[in-house]
Amino acid sequence: QEEAQAIDQELFTEYKFSVDQLMELAGLSCATAIAKAYPPSSFTTSQPTVLVVCGPGNNGGDGLVCARHLKMFGYEPTVYYPKRPNKPLFEGLTTQCQKMDIPFLPEFPAEAALIDELYGLVVDAIFGFSFKGAVREPFGSILSTLERITVPVASIDIPSGWDVEKGKADGLQPDMLISLTAPKKAAMHFTGRYHFLGGRFVPAALQQKYALNLPPYPETDCVLQLT
Amino acid sequence: VPFSSRQAFPLPSLPRKQPTVLVVCGPAQNGAIGLVCARHLRIFDYEPTIFYPKRSPDPLYRDFTTQCEKMDIPFLSYLPTEVQLINDAYNAVVDAVLGAEVEAGEGREPCAAILATLKHVRIPIVSLDVPSGWDVEAGSSGGISPDVLVSLSAPKQCARRFLGRQHFVAGRFLPYDVQKKFELNPPEYPGTECVVALRAPR
Repeated sequence: QEEAQAIDQELFTEYKFSVDQLMELAGLSCATAIAKAYPPSSFTTSQPTVLVVCGPGNNGGDGLVCARHLKMFGYEPTVYYPKRPNKPLFEGLTTQCQKMDIPFLPEFPAEAALIDELYGLVVDAIFGFSFKGAVREPFGSILSTLERITVPVASIDIPSGWDVEKGKADGLQPDMLISLTAPKKAAMHFTGRYHFLGGRFVPAALQQKYALNLPPYPETDCVLQLT
Repeated sequence: VPFSSRQAFPLPSLPRKQPTVLVVCGPAQNGAIGLVCARHLRIFDYEPTIFYPKRSPDPLYRDFTTQCEKMDIPFLSYLPTEVQLINDAYNAVVDAVLGAEVEAGEGREPCAAILATLKHVRIPIVSLDVPSGWDVEAGSSGGISPDVLVSLSAPKQCARRFLGRQHFVAGRFLPYDVQKKFELNPPEYPGTECVVALRAPR
């Protein structure tokens, strides 16, 4: 976890990347990975509907970017974003989604069965690699519901609720994991079908410094399928 | 833009041993896009070199410059006027000098001198959005003749005069209501691609 935070710090302070830049590339990777694993034609729902659940921090921001690109790729995303930070970055991302006619739910679907009926996929953009400690409401209840749905869950960077290094055996078990920048330790406990790497922006010098040993991305793709 | 540069010139096809590309960046937004392009080209394993004589004071664009510098992308201190030097050192030139924001007839230094040199290079030129020096609507008379044009968001009127090998549209971020409002009719992007070719390569 500390290494991931250190890399981020260097990208921002030494390389002068803005959060916006990296978040946009991260969110785009997530949408691209989802489109590769779950093409619209594969959905059993009549439209390729996707529920994107966004948490209170940067992982939620990644989710908003992802939702917007999913819309551009022909999906029909809906966002649930209960705790919105009071910062221009997140307000801007929210507006972009709203202006693209992406609905924001006023309430989380009460039951797992309802989610299964309405959506073909759920994107878990609740907590990321900075997550520590206890899960605060409303996310505790949300995660309990998500643990009971049968449609696939794609988690951004870390399955929400997991310890960033040790995982969580009795927690959310997503079908897809999109590791951003580099897989975190928790990824070793991932048992779903699809593991993608995204966030193709780490300069070679940083990769070497932190011995990331990332496999090469194919051509100009912004995602790499690891499993 | 780097995605389309890559499509037009896949790494294995480049004539020189090193995948060198010269990215010439103007003082405004078009130049800034060139900086971002150079950075991604580096990630894609090309060897970009940047010529950015007149740097924007805009903090965002200054950060783009830092990102490139930190990624060991060299910045030339001058552009050789001897065109053969450019032809020999690089496989292609990315023209990010002037975009659609420029008014017809402006030939500010050092842009005019750069464009005069670029007119004579024999390696392919990839122009971002508008071939630099062209009038955005009427096109060019005697200006740069790029090999590849990457129109951003939608082709500009002058693109009708484009005679090069490949024309791409890139910048897949326009919301539908904006597309409709301005009657842009952009082409359909395939799958998750952020670039679409408008004409088959000749």
